[in-house]
Amino acid sequence: MTSMPGAGRLTPLQIDALGEAGNIGAGNAAIALSLMVSKKVELSTPKASLIPLAGVPDLVGGPEAAVAGIYLEVQGDCSGSILLLLEEESALILASLMVPAESGEAGLTVVKRSALQETGSILSAAYLSALGQLTGLFFKPSVPGFAMDMAGAILDHVLADLAASEDHVLVVETDFIVSGVKIMGHLVLFPDLGTLDTILEHLGVPFD
Amino acid sequence: MAPSVLIVDDALFMRMMIKDILSKDGFEVVGEAENGVEAVKKYADLHPDLVTMDIVMPEMDGIEAVRNIIKIDPGARVLMCSAMGQQLLVVEALEAGAKDFIIKPFQPAKVVEAVRKALTSEQD
Repeated sequence: MTSMPGAGRLTPLQIDALGEAGNIGAGNAAIALSLMVSKKVELSTPKASLIPLAGVPDLVGGPEAAVAGIYLEVQGDCSGSILLLLEEESALILASLMVPAESGEAGLTVVKRSALQETGSILSAAYLSALGQLTGLFFKPSVPGFAMDMAGAILDHVLADLAASEDHVLVVETDFIVSGVKIMGHLVLFPDLGTLDTILEHLGVPFD
Repeated sequence: MAPSVLIVDDALFMRMMIKDILSKDGFEVVGEAENGVEAVKKYADLHPDLVTMDIVMPEMDGIEAVRNIIKIDPGARVLMCSAMGQQLLVVEALEAGAKDFIIKPFQPAKVVEAVRKALTSEQD
């Protein structure tokens, strides 16, 4: 698109600004997660980057990797979608930490699915809240959807729902450590056309 | 008699969590609803002392549900449950007639404190 000449070529300053939103968002997310699992949650330094759409499955080991995906749409001052990808093993560990009474049961029970879905919703809100604080923009998330599938299938599903989005997505990769167990999370923001321009402009680092 | 509570949230997990917190503190959870439409219907049937209301839900969101509940009962006590960063929605809910709000995820003590506060607030 014409207004996004630098979609794949963000300046170091722009990457830094988006990274800062990622840092604060991940900090919020760690606090939220800690309350949900009633345990101390440590956080690795989040890494923000802008990658091509097609590269999303590679974040979790390729299109055939088994993952849990929590997906929601964002409306408000600008629009887009958010996908939280958790590697299957991380998702199952996290679910067991939140629903300990059922930890003996294999696989995902209805309650565990609901717990993961709500985690995606709360972690997305934590990130959007940070982005809102830094930009002064208002974001309103939708009811989250949940799927446990291959990464490629989940991405296809998300892409089918997207109307007109950028060909690059913003990724915030964060590892949380809960009770010595590492949980790897990838928060992927699919900006609708013009959204990234608006966010960068409000962060004070617009495209030229 | 224990105060009666209706819990409204589209997430089963959150309903279980709130129910657990409130039941342990002596409240009677008389019903649950997973969207705004169901919430309004159950409020009319059960007339609970208090409603905990999620904001983002399918069918009808929590703000619209508060408006409808207040139409049925102007003295209804509704406590909004909002995720971080939804201040504008919370303001809208308070304007619609909600008494107060709590931020998800919850700290049990804060939930109980907010519920007690909402229950002792003056009815409009």
